Amino acid sequence: MKIVESAELASFREQCRDWLQDNVPKNRPDDGDAMREFDLAWQAKQFEGGWAGINWPTEYGGRGASVLEQLIWHEEYALAGGPPSGCMFVALSHAGPTMIVSGNEEQKSKYLPTILNGTENWCQGFSEPGAGSDLASLKCKGEIDGDDLVINGTKIWTTYAQHARWQELLVRTDPNETRHRGLTWIVGDMKAPGLEVRPIKTMAGLEHFAQCFYDDVRIPLKNVVGEVNQGWKTAMTTLGFERGTGTVAHQIELATRVDRVIEAVKSFPGGADDVQLEMLAGLKSEVMALRSLTAASISRGMHETVPGAEGNIVALYFGELTRRVNAAAFDLLGPHSLERAGYNYPAHFLECFKWAIGGGTSEIRRNTIGERVLGLPKGPKAV
Amino acid sequence: MIVDLIPDEDQSAIEDTIVSFLADVLPVERLRDAKAHGGAAEAEVWGQICELGLFGLGLPEDQGGLGLGLPEEALVARALGRNLVSPGVLAQLCAPHLATDEATRDALISGEARATFGIADGYVLDGEGAEWIVVFGPGGASLRARSDLSLAATDGGLDHTMTFERIEGGAGNAQPALRLEVLIAAYLTGIAQATTDMAVDYAKQREQFGQPIGAFQAIKHSCADMATRASAADTQTLFAATVFGAGMDDAVEAAAARTLAKRASFENAKANIQTHGGMGFTDECDAHLFLKRAMVMDMLGSDARARRAALTA
Ligand SMILES: Cc1cc2nc3c(=O)[nH]c(=O)nc-3n(C[C@H](O)[C@H](O)[C@H](O)COP(=O)(O)OP(=O)(O)OC[C@H]3O[C@@H](n4cnc5c(N)ncnc54)[C@H](O)[C@@H]3O)c2cc1C
Repeated sequence: MKIVESAELASFREQCRDWLQDNVPKNRPDDGDAMREFDLAWQAKQFEGGWAGINWPTEYGGRGASVLEQLIWHEEYALAGGPPSGCMFVALSHAGPTMIVSGNEEQKSKYLPTILNGTENWCQGFSEPGAGSDLASLKCKGEIDGDDLVINGTKIWTTYAQHARWQELLVRTDPNETRHRGLTWIVGDMKAPGLEVRPIKTMAGLEHFAQCFYDDVRIPLKNVVGEVNQGWKTAMTTLGFERGTGTVAHQIELATRVDRVIEAVKSFPGGADDVQLEMLAGLKSEVMALRSLTAASISRGMHETVPGAEGNIVALYFGELTRRVNAAAFDLLGPHSLERAGYNYPAHFLECFKWAIGGGTSEIRRNTIGERVLGLPKGPKAV
Repeated sequence: MIVDLIPDEDQSAIEDTIVSFLADVLPVERLRDAKAHGGAAEAEVWGQICELGLFGLGLPEDQGGLGLGLPEEALVARALGRNLVSPGVLAQLCAPHLATDEATRDALISGEARATFGIADGYVLDGEGAEWIVVFGPGGASLRARSDLSLAATDGGLDHTMTFERIEGGAGNAQPALRLEVLIAAYLTGIAQATTDMAVDYAKQREQFGQPIGAFQAIKHSCADMATRASAADTQTLFAATVFGAGMDDAVEAAAARTLAKRASFENAKANIQTHGGMGFTDECDAHLFLKRAMVMDMLGSDARARRAALTA
């Protein structure tokens, strides 16, 4: 246990801060093509400034720095009020890292630079109507025909599918195998004929995700990342590339929100009462714990090469805490919090439910913590 | 501020030494025998405890210490909490920091003079044999000679494995003691971890409906929540210890650690009782000892009002 922020890192932090201060764009549109254009343009700007892919290899346009610099960037980014990566999120935090770990040379040089310079973005087609928490039961079919894989079936909850150029697609290529065997991870082309994308409106009122329908969609076999029928392995190796640095921005944003509510409540005529302060103190300590949990997870990354299941603890904590924080604003601020103008508490509140669902629900995370961190038995058998 | 929260080799060595010593010499089971209560078990092996050289851990070398810091002390405090070691041992770790003269400090570091904790406006805990009392309340801590305090015996309190002597009259001269706040948080975190381990072990071994109860999600998820609460308290406490004195707001860091450690130790101790079913309600099962100890130790130092003030400042 020690402080690792050296003079060198501190000066890197300064550089980040200065650049962000001058360049962070404001007023991000929260939906539609305007949002897509905004997100890609901002990515391009970061690339030009030399700030894209801080811990990505230099040969693909990254900065080639360590995960610590990446962490500092995320911290300063959040403190500067940087916009969400939005339409670039999957490319930056999932597809790109998957390529770096499992892609071949040709794939890496084709896809990685276009992510970093903001020309092409990605979406993730894993979940299906019948396969959510139980992802390994997925059915969307891929059949080899000559040099192509022919895709038939459907994917759902695909975030920003309607805005994406490429898709991480996980399909069943061996119909005789079940569960996680016989799956293939392939780069889907969102412009391919036979693919229909139908946006779905969320409870927050935005078209955040979509359902994708594949009718004999042909994808060249050279788009397979890893090996045919080894797609589960490809999907799993990506986990942990970021070592939790990606959540740093959300954590700081949440901490800022708690501070904002504290300030607002204290500025009421008559000030805050003890019950309100007790609630706020609890939330404040929890956002600090979230920061420390994240720091611990990044620390483990400095020492171990393979991430454990402990990351689920941070994700569970964040998913549950963010709902409490955003709901507290309504309890503490009263009717004024209902209006969308100004700080827009309704949008934050409605949006935050996704964190305990997407990418693994809280219940599934508790199962994983119980079984893989604590070693409890799987089950139960029917009683 | 970027920190590495994983103990380095030397820190792990200190922790391993104390953990294996406590497992051998002061296991929690000792408290099933009333003869071990009130710090008597610790008094019996006091010489061995002193040989561990813990008490000057965080003091500079020119003050007779080892020149290490709060992170190392926190690892020790956490280990003491896990084994429900008498608060006197933790107080002995804190007391040299509060001593105002060299002779007293040296005697506390060597263990020649013994110390224990007193809750300000409350009780001296496990006071038998202690010459010095670290009186600790919301206003901070002061090191008082036992002979200067007016004490009255009691018939005992919530934790039947401890003794309580009522402090009559104020204790005065309290100094802010954020270091002690972090160490109490660490002790409580130890309780949160030990109760998680105990519940998980039982959930793996106890069978109902033809399978270990840990296969049922009601139990499994409760264990996952225990582990999560313990991690939150632990990482925050170690964070507070690691950045202590380095320019962050120590008062806020310590208040967060205390708040989370209180919640984790109380909630986990209760969940552990529930996980043990009927056995959990018995005197024979150690589960209740953790709840009682957590509730007493949390009365030391800051109260909810003080933490609220720090966290919402
Ligand atoms: C905002 C958002 C964005 C998303 N983006 C994407 C994306 O880009 N790409 C993609 O592929 N997917 C995406 N998803 C899908 C997401 O991964 C799934 O919604 C999630 O895995 C849950 O699956 P499900 O919706 O089918 O729910 P179900 O699995 O049907 O779960 C329903 C309920 O049952 C519970 N449950 C299920 N199994 C168990 C169990 N074994 N034990 C206890 N409880 C259980 C769940 O916890 C949940 O409460 C997104 C989801 C959201 C909300």
